[in-house]
Amino acid sequence: MTTEIVLMWVALTGFVVATAMFVFGVTFAKERFVRIAVIAASLGLVPQIMALGVRWARVGHGPYIGYYEVANGLTLFVVAFFVIAAWRNPRLSAAGIAIMPVAVLLLGGAMLASKDSLPLTPNLASYWLFIHVAFANLAFAAFVASFGLGVAYVLRKRSTSGKWAQRLQKLPAQDVVEELTTRFVLAGFLFWGAMIASGAIWANQAWGRYWGWDPIETWSLIVWVIYAVYLHVRFTLGWKGERLAWFAIAAMPISLFALLGTPIVFNSIHGGYIGRADG
Amino acid sequence: MIRSVPRKIATVLGSARLAIWLLMFVGAWSMLATFVPQGDSSLPEVAAWAVAHPVIESAVRLLGLHAAFSTLLFRVAVVALAAATATCAWRRTKVAIVRMRTLRTAAGADAESLTAEHDLEMTIRPSLSDADALSKAAGVLAAVGIRTRQRGTLLFSVSPGWTVWGSPVFHGGLVALILVLLLSGFLRSEGLMGVAVGDTVPDAPESYGVLESGVLRDWQNVQRSIRVDAFDTEYRTGSIDRGPVPTVSVLDGAGNVIKSQRVYPNNPLQTGSLTVHATEFGFAATLAVLDKGGVERGRAIQLIDISEETSGGTVPVEPLSLADDKGNRLVVAVTVPMERRGGELSVPQERVARVEVFAADGTPVLDEVIAPAGEIVLPTGSTLRLDELGYYARLSVVDDPAIPFLYAALAVAGMGLTLVVAARQQLVLVTVAESVDGPMLVAKLRLWRNVPTNRTEIERELAEAFQTDEGERVS
Repeated sequence: MTTEIVLMWVALTGFVVATAMFVFGVTFAKERFVRIAVIAASLGLVPQIMALGVRWARVGHGPYIGYYEVANGLTLFVVAFFVIAAWRNPRLSAAGIAIMPVAVLLLGGAMLASKDSLPLTPNLASYWLFIHVAFANLAFAAFVASFGLGVAYVLRKRSTSGKWAQRLQKLPAQDVVEELTTRFVLAGFLFWGAMIASGAIWANQAWGRYWGWDPIETWSLIVWVIYAVYLHVRFTLGWKGERLAWFAIAAMPISLFALLGTPIVFNSIHGGYIGRADG
Repeated sequence: MIRSVPRKIATVLGSARLAIWLLMFVGAWSMLATFVPQGDSSLPEVAAWAVAHPVIESAVRLLGLHAAFSTLLFRVAVVALAAATATCAWRRTKVAIVRMRTLRTAAGADAESLTAEHDLEMTIRPSLSDADALSKAAGVLAAVGIRTRQRGTLLFSVSPGWTVWGSPVFHGGLVALILVLLLSGFLRSEGLMGVAVGDTVPDAPESYGVLESGVLRDWQNVQRSIRVDAFDTEYRTGSIDRGPVPTVSVLDGAGNVIKSQRVYPNNPLQTGSLTVHATEFGFAATLAVLDKGGVERGRAIQLIDISEETSGGTVPVEPLSLADDKGNRLVVAVTVPMERRGGELSVPQERVARVEVFAADGTPVLDEVIAPAGEIVLPTGSTLRLDELGYYARLSVVDDPAIPFLYAALAVAGMGLTLVVAARQQLVLVTVAESVDGPMLVAKLRLWRNVPTNRTEIERELAEAFQTDEGERVS
């Protein structure tokens, strides 16, 4: 357990350093620091993956159960999704100023939570768990990416003195940032839908009903509906600009609440994944 | 007049604003519903919430938020959303057909047809050869993410026709999903039945303790029964403790086993449209009534639930009504005294049954503890014998013929959405044409979906590359 925790602290340190570098690099328009920040974020993934691997071998299941594991899995996907995008298209790197703090808060929260390993309950012991969680992580990573680009868009747009416009000048043009935000939302919408669908099939397998309006199921639908509204206002009403970016910014925390907040706030048959006894 | 009514309805249902408002209503309503306990007012949590929130409760009750997802308002919104989605799917299908035709035509285009019909033209230097101009244009397009191929003097990048079908297929899949869910509600039956180990019960409404059955559910043609063959009090697969696990069989009308297996979470018994889960377990006491001569006059099985709320740790599911040889009705309640270890109930090594007998008017007649094969002599002279004290499994039995269609609709919607997300929809044709002003670069651009650039950027980059003014759109 000690090795795992040490590795996880190293990963968190890497992500904190990356965040600081992004803030410094973007604020003072030092492109070199932004590039270093992407490297630091990428390097932070190495100890995190090692720590999760060690834990997986020890407890016999992936990062699916308990707040520590779930938040860890989400962080891994958020950072991996972002660094892959940043390596493929370095002009997106500056969006890390908004994305990495989310990763740091998630992993920081995980490090403060109980790290006890929870056994797979009979209800959770299914290959559907892997599929369901993988889609949830992918969707959240895409939503955080859209959130980061939304923040970058708003910062540039609202920069009356032009400072932030200069600081974020390496980002693609505003219309391209907007288009990319929408594409990340679309990707997240697809993955979130796949999460709901795989959950419904699994629920039918495990409980004999595919949908039961359980609070966690309902909130997953609410998030999907919110992003459906985003896509409709974008494609059918032709919303553009700052209000669309604000929409992407505001929607992401709701998806986070659906994933991590609902099992804490509500009594749910799904509570088991966050370590609640009633799940 | 008559034709205009459906058209008006279609216009309303096809309105983007209506769809957005309906989505927002469904989202907001669902959000509210999660903060209000769901169910009948007789439920303890609903009643407690009403007492704790007297001011809000009246509004909640008025809106029907305690039954948020079955209230008429919500159902109407969902039906309207389904209709709006269907209208949207139809409109998107029409758009897809037009786009597919455009792509097909473009796939067969040549330099001459493009010269005759294009939407962008740009004067280029006469010194530039056609080949160099096309090469330069290809480079510009590649730099903004559009890889072109060349056929004669035509540069082209045309998406396949199927790429335009994502949105209509997705919306069509959603409509199919909603219809299948409605169908499922009409055809589905879902219930709980308790079956003692070794016992066989017919799959009929009277066998269920709790049953919800759709209006189109046809019980007449159900000719099967369900049997619990065995019960493992502990069962492990690999490192996972599956808990108490029954072995369940489904039999056809002739008594032949259709399927038999251990049933535990994530491992239901599935045959045809039938799915059997094991939700709980308890004890089953088999009782026989003997007359004075020792001849068996009746037999019944008492199902007993484990209950933390009773002192003995068990409670009969439903007391038995038995008749002795003189026809006197007796009410028998059997429980199994449990042991408490560390505050938790556990099954004793040697199980015994506490048998309480009441007269029809509720007067206590007997209260004795007996082991299996033990007998109690009733005041009337008859004997009550405990033949067996085993287990029973509470089975959740769901028969839903719509589920394969539900999964198919999900798959169709998923494929459509994947196409929307991943498939690029574009048409780019470029060639060099002669005009009275000299050579010109002419192009046709349709950048519909998932294209990494836009028309403005292409025009700007081409103009920069050919050092001319920005391209001129041709209407």
